Amino acid sequence: MTPDMELALPARAENIAIVRHALGGFAEAYAIPPAKLSDIRLAVTEACANVVVHAYPEGEEGEMEVLATVQDGSITVRVRDWGHGIRPRPDSPGLGLGLSLIAALAETVQLGHDNQEHTEVTMTFSLSEEPPSTNGTGG
Amino acid sequence: MSVPATSPAIGERERTVVTRLRVADGALLGPVLCRVVSMVLARADWPLDRLEEALLVCDALCAQAGEQAGTQQPTFSVQADESHAELLVRGLQAQAAQRLLDHRLPLVGNVLERLAEAVSIQADEDGLGVCLTIALSAHRAE
Repeated sequence: MTPDMELALPARAENIAIVRHALGGFAEAYAIPPAKLSDIRLAVTEACANVVVHAYPEGEEGEMEVLATVQDGSITVRVRDWGHGIRPRPDSPGLGLGLSLIAALAETVQLGHDNQEHTEVTMTFSLSEEPPSTNGTGG
Repeated sequence: MSVPATSPAIGERERTVVTRLRVADGALLGPVLCRVVSMVLARADWPLDRLEEALLVCDALCAQAGEQAGTQQPTFSVQADESHAELLVRGLQAQAAQRLLDHRLPLVGNVLERLAEAVSIQADEDGLGVCLTIALSAHRAE
């Protein structure tokens, strides 16, 4: 399915702010409630930060891609990279809470590769006002 | 995926780049493109008045580019350093791009003529359409 928005940028920390602002524009167009937008922005920020910190070897610049689609009362955001995939990293500079935070904020989370060898984090957020009945990870 | 060709005016240092922005619906374009461009130019330390003028260019493009693009929505790329910026609109048909530049109409062409440093049309890399390149300067020509 063609995403409603597709944004590709070099995977640099300073570009995460651009993603956050683009999501603000997306939310304005779809009248997404501010509280939901905050959750989406936080989760997407974590996913993008994972790309910036973990996806590419130090000194190598790669790309990150953010795709957003609104369908059937929910928004799906995919954050992709072309790095070496998600794997354990004992020397990680982060706290290791990023994926847990994403899982807490999104209705569903899927991690994996797509058929073009992207590493991809897919997050779905309900746009309804009711709190979600379940909160889990999949994939 | 290709990163757009870099203008000689855009230096390699301190360059802020968005390689691709595409939206499926023209109604999304204005809110998203303007925010992205404003962030890129703010990151490149552009003066506020020139940033505001660049957003006028974006507004004018958003109002017309979707309409002129036909079935395929155009793709936008933007890159900037502290003195220059380049906004590329890909996936346009040649006639549509020419219509955008028509300065006799009080639409995009008129705005581009006043605010852009240079505007050009080249064949797109995929050979299917043309690419409209809009060069903007962080400082007004004296």
